[in-house]
Amino acid sequence: MTALEDLRGRVLAAFPGCEAHVAYGELTIHAPADIVHDVLAWARDDDAVRCELLADLSGVHWPAGDNEIERQPATTGWPAHRMERDRGAIEVSYVVRSLAHNHAFRITVAVDDTQPRLPTATDLWATANAHEREVFDFFGVEFTGHPNLTRILMPDDWVGHPHRKDYPLGGVDIPYDNDKFIPSPDRRGLRQVIE
Amino acid sequence: MGLEEKFPSGILLTSLEKVVNYSRSMSLWPATFGLACCAIEMMATGGPRHDIARFGMEVFRASPRQADLMIVAGRVSNKMAPVLRRIYDQMSDPKWVLSMGVCATSGGMFNNYALVQGVDHIVPVDMYVPGCPPRPEMLLDGILKLHEKIRNESFAEQGSK
Amino acid sequence: MASDTELFVEGADWETVSDAVTDDILTVNMGPQHPSTHGVLRLVLQLDGEVVQRVDPVIGYLHTGIEKNAEYRTWVQGTTFFTRMDYLSPFFNECAYSLGVERLLDIEAPERAQAIRVILMEFNRIASHLVWIATGGMELGAVSLMTYGFREREHILDLFESQTGLRMNHAYIRPGGVAMDVTDDFAERCLALCDLLGDKLGEYEDLLLENPIWNGRLRGVGMITVSDCLRYGITGPLLRSSGMEWDLRKAQPYCGYEQYDFDVPTDDAGDCFSRFLVRMEEMRQSMRIIRQAVDRLPGGPTMVADKRIAWPSQQSLGPDGIGNDPAYIQHIMGESMESLINHFKLVTQGFTVPAGQVYEAVESPRGELGYAITSIGTNRPYRVHVREPSFVNLQATNHMCAGGLIADVVAVVASIDPVMGGVDR
Repeated sequence: MTALEDLRGRVLAAFPGCEAHVAYGELTIHAPADIVHDVLAWARDDDAVRCELLADLSGVHWPAGDNEIERQPATTGWPAHRMERDRGAIEVSYVVRSLAHNHAFRITVAVDDTQPRLPTATDLWATANAHEREVFDFFGVEFTGHPNLTRILMPDDWVGHPHRKDYPLGGVDIPYDNDKFIPSPDRRGLRQVIE
Repeated sequence: MGLEEKFPSGILLTSLEKVVNYSRSMSLWPATFGLACCAIEMMATGGPRHDIARFGMEVFRASPRQADLMIVAGRVSNKMAPVLRRIYDQMSDPKWVLSMGVCATSGGMFNNYALVQGVDHIVPVDMYVPGCPPRPEMLLDGILKLHEKIRNESFAEQGSK
Repeated sequence: MASDTELFVEGADWETVSDAVTDDILTVNMGPQHPSTHGVLRLVLQLDGEVVQRVDPVIGYLHTGIEKNAEYRTWVQGTTFFTRMDYLSPFFNECAYSLGVERLLDIEAPERAQAIRVILMEFNRIASHLVWIATGGMELGAVSLMTYGFREREHILDLFESQTGLRMNHAYIRPGGVAMDVTDDFAERCLALCDLLGDKLGEYEDLLLENPIWNGRLRGVGMITVSDCLRYGITGPLLRSSGMEWDLRKAQPYCGYEQYDFDVPTDDAGDCFSRFLVRMEEMRQSMRIIRQAVDRLPGGPTMVADKRIAWPSQQSLGPDGIGNDPAYIQHIMGESMESLINHFKLVTQGFTVPAGQVYEAVESPRGELGYAITSIGTNRPYRVHVREPSFVNLQATNHMCAGGLIADVVAVVASIDPVMGGVDR
């Protein structure tokens, strides 16, 4: 734990505008959107932190609405955009890992979900290329400065961003009436509708 | 062999149908269409323990023009669906489709936006093999039932596909 | 083609002639249905003659929406979904997910469960590398390797089937432990299997190490340095074959890996042949770990004791092989209403997990497999994002293939060993 506390101290000393939160053995830094690129660059270049590897870049959608998360001990320290959501937010998390110092921590930034825009991290780590395309594909976050921001996993002409909470799961409706009699296969016509 | 499909089916061509169907069923060459986990079980069926070469089918042809049977092994996403249809169209007659696994048969456990809920929305399927993934023995059972089905087909049925 | 110049072509001077004649870059599409692209991967090649100028991998042909689908299922049902992502190493998916959920629940699986997880994961690593040799060899032309690799893998799948019930996609490792205990002959079977595999791996080495065709196709092909690997986020055998000794089992141990004594194989060359050497040696080290784990397999429960979390059904080896324990059924149906209600609620609604966010990573056969799990305190995951190693490793395809020949593209993609189910999720 002390290594995490040490890291936390370093980050807050370098960037006082961030909030830091240690839970479940992990350090999470909540950074505002205008300085997140500087925080990432510092995480990569500062000698004591030296995160050479961007392990993960992902998004979570916290939509607007009156569905507050139930207050529980585990949510103390959670940022406001998760708890009270009069405006929706998309939270992008960068998990950075240092091989030299054998530590890892997470930097999150929240952007408004109607016009989500963030600076790209591809100038810091080339691996961010595919990850940012995935976050764009599934959440609609526009990464300014990305060399090729197009859909990566969905078909190119797909409309909508599937991992948003207002996007339906899709699929077909399976009518399952478990109080109706279902005959055995040899007494059943193929594709017979069970009434 | 397109001429025989123009004759009316019936007694006239029964013996010829039997011979032709027998030889068609005895060396069905599958096209490689392994997509996901079922593809690994399909490769295991081609492996030494569950040997698909016993049925003359170990040559998985890469080119659809040289293949008779398309074993759709795995989940078909919406992005893959036009590719599947194109490969099916490129196969030359006579051709059969075996849908392996529940994802190809009906979408499987993934009832969502990303998958085609059953490959029979795209291509006509002759045999459905359930399982997630089906054991190689189950796939072989499906293939043997498909062989029986082929042996009982008449020329008119095959030509109307 | 210029109309009034005469060109005398003798064969050895094609470079000068072709530059004079034409300046074209030919764009060729490989896949998504192709025997040599390791699954539904589409490669758009830009070729100058036979030299590859640029490779663009196009992915997404197997996208299944597993991450979104898991948001609509309970926490234990998530295991069944995530196990089908990287379908060649299902135990790693399950274990990473279960470790993440256990961290949120603040519980730890019992020691016996951890040891069983380690044994099954290491056998899965060997099975995955065997499929790699089989398919990689077939793609490079050594078609008989397909039969050898799958022959060995069948023995491992027999073991999996006898313990978990399924050959693939087991849903056996669950939050809290493992689904059921192993059979009584588990230890002997594991050790016998290790002996068998040790001999067979010797056969592979005899066949391939000095083989001039294998050497010719793999040596010097697909070079990448450590700093480029880190830039591209590459981990796993690719990083280790470039020279950096980084393995999450040593650096951030999980499931009790710190008790086992094993080496992390590395190589300096950074080409496809060194990846082959690293994977062969990894299989031997896996067998070493398995022997140690089987030796000290502790007794005790295989699922955490907390009745609010543990999967409620009690299973026992009955006369038909496996089944619900009759004493347990008698208990919940006849004797205790609370147990019945508990069983019912746990199976239909599942347990609730406190709110939080964790990132849990394990060392899968392809690299760092990470699960970023977000919970809001209900009985369903709020968001699970999977950091799949193949998704990240494929980004280096262009770097490794550009400037080489088309045939080397096949060798490079085979040595990256991508599993498209994990890439596309």
